[in-house]
Amino acid sequence: MQDARAREMLVGIMMLAAGTIYLYLTTGVPRRGTIDAAFIPYVLAFAMVALGLAQTFVAWRRTATDVAVEQDVDDETPTQGKPNYATVVKTLLLFAGFTVLIRPLGFPVAAAIYLFLQFIVLTPADRKPNYLFYLVLAPVCAAVIFVSFRYGFDLILPAGPLTRYLP
Amino acid sequence: MWDLFLQGISNVFAPQIFLLVTIGVAVGIVFGAVPGLTAVMAIALCLPMTYGLSSAAGLALLVALYVGATSGGLISAILLKIPGTPSSIATTFDGGPMMEKGEGAKALGVGIVFSFIGTILSIVALMFIAPYLARAALSFGPHEYFAIAVFSLTLIATLSSGSMIKGIFSGVAGFAVSTVGIAPVDAIRRFTFGQVELNAGFSILTVLVGMFAIAEIIKVAESSRAGGSIGAPVIARIKGFGFSLKEFFGQLPNGFRSSVIGIGIGILPGIGAGTSNIISYIVARSRSKTPEKFGKGTIEGVVASETANNAGIGGAMIPLLTLGIPGDAVTAILLGGFMIHGIQPGPMLLITQGEFVYTIFAALILSAVMMLILEFWGLRVFIRLLAIPKHILLPVIVVLCAVGAFGLASRIFDIWTILGFGVLGYAFVKAGIPTAPFIIGFILGPMAETNFRRGLQLADGDATSFLTNPISGSFLALAGLSIAWQVYRMLRPRPAAVSPADAVEARVKQPQE
Repeated sequence: MQDARAREMLVGIMMLAAGTIYLYLTTGVPRRGTIDAAFIPYVLAFAMVALGLAQTFVAWRRTATDVAVEQDVDDETPTQGKPNYATVVKTLLLFAGFTVLIRPLGFPVAAAIYLFLQFIVLTPADRKPNYLFYLVLAPVCAAVIFVSFRYGFDLILPAGPLTRYLP
Repeated sequence: MWDLFLQGISNVFAPQIFLLVTIGVAVGIVFGAVPGLTAVMAIALCLPMTYGLSSAAGLALLVALYVGATSGGLISAILLKIPGTPSSIATTFDGGPMMEKGEGAKALGVGIVFSFIGTILSIVALMFIAPYLARAALSFGPHEYFAIAVFSLTLIATLSSGSMIKGIFSGVAGFAVSTVGIAPVDAIRRFTFGQVELNAGFSILTVLVGMFAIAEIIKVAESSRAGGSIGAPVIARIKGFGFSLKEFFGQLPNGFRSSVIGIGIGILPGIGAGTSNIISYIVARSRSKTPEKFGKGTIEGVVASETANNAGIGGAMIPLLTLGIPGDAVTAILLGGFMIHGIQPGPMLLITQGEFVYTIFAALILSAVMMLILEFWGLRVFIRLLAIPKHILLPVIVVLCAVGAFGLASRIFDIWTILGFGVLGYAFVKAGIPTAPFIIGFILGPMAETNFRRGLQLADGDATSFLTNPISGSFLALAGLSIAWQVYRMLRPRPAAVSPADAVEARVKQPQE
């Protein structure tokens, strides 16, 4: 119960922080009168700060009954066990790596590497990764996507070193 | 009107558009049926494919995806008791028990036919209401548009699921993100940090793909290691439509009432098919002669849910086409699709591009017919697709999202943007902050700010002109009432002891995102 209350307070503090950062950035917008380019950002920044304070206050005032009822309701929805944050972090890093490699390696190679590694990362824990299958599937998927968009939909994706071999 | 409609019909029967609509509906059904994949994702992934197409062909493909994905949710809702999309939540209440009783084929038949009826009725409503609303909107100026934007923002923020504070914050945050780039009227650069790529602000598509598709994928990645594939269910062959003519005629009043609910809720910004199916289900139960059968497997429940969610399609298209205001995330991304093809939805659209608009209407009708045909005769193929492992499917979708973002302006920057908004969307999910108000705030924010500044210029700086103008004054009063009502609901004393069952009932009655 205390966890839920603390979580909601943390959400409120994060909202407050977002509002404060936006307010700080707004002070850097040049002023040319009362209703100018900074007017709406100021209104939004103060609204975000006020909402952050309200969320923190409401979470702080929450009673044990509120939390209990909410937890009972949440129990009605199916869950799939404890979240695996390591997989989330690996997924984000792989996506970032893919983005960095698109220009130097070209889309087909970067996508094939990304797909191969991401298939492995997301393979369910109770199953052994089928490396050979992934090794074939990843380049095939990357090639199909690249060819479809480049020649079917006229979207010139970066080809990297492969450019000289392409028609 | 009829000339334009006939012209639209002949346009969609051109081989290219006909094929695109058929493919669009089939792909949409897959995205609707597979839990974790959504209509937004389907449209976002296919948007780059429309770059090289004519605007009519491109938009026909996108609306076909919309129709297919909205209806496809019933397949997993009935067969797996998992709603493929939020618009099919109530379908699981009776569709699941019918499947368990061996009446899965009947539930699917009823769901498919009444999805079709709901879609067609909503398109008819769209065709008749849109021209009148557009004509009325022609007289709107900056004051009216500012007030409508504020009203829509407050409605979305206050009616979205969960906490009102979080809903409003989400809308305000979306508005704040939209202020990045060159400001309207005085063209001052804001929050660009010297980055040339940020001068034009963030693209709608990158925000949508990030907040919905990438965030959803990150969310699924959380639990994918626990097991990702779903066994394909076995379903008996559907004979005819799976139900008798007597049952069909007996359900027509329920279907008609649910269509009206779906269309009405679809028109309102922010509360789309995710809410209408539940409200329609509750209304059907309260009006039924046998309410005790609800939740145990009655076709009344399936009819109410499936008719209402599909009826929301035409309803949601009404404010989009006539005012340029998207009601939910799907119509927001459709708006992005219109803009990519150089088309600005609004009251002038029907006048300047009547043939194009009626081609969209015709594409919606053709999509509904294709949905009926494909779901009946291709059901087994879609069922098999439910068994595709998530660890294979999701990475391919990520790559397609990156392609879509890159295709916007051939910039790697846009791929980083979808990643950034994906992380933000995931943070919203973890914090229990609804994402739909963020998107609507992002889209309506510039409209509100630009019209606010223009309205003040027209009124020589007199801010009271927004209140004295009858239309803008009315909308602003409605916005104030909407917030006041929600504040009252939040502050009023609640009973000390609430049973979990009552709480679930109350949660079900709360509008869903």
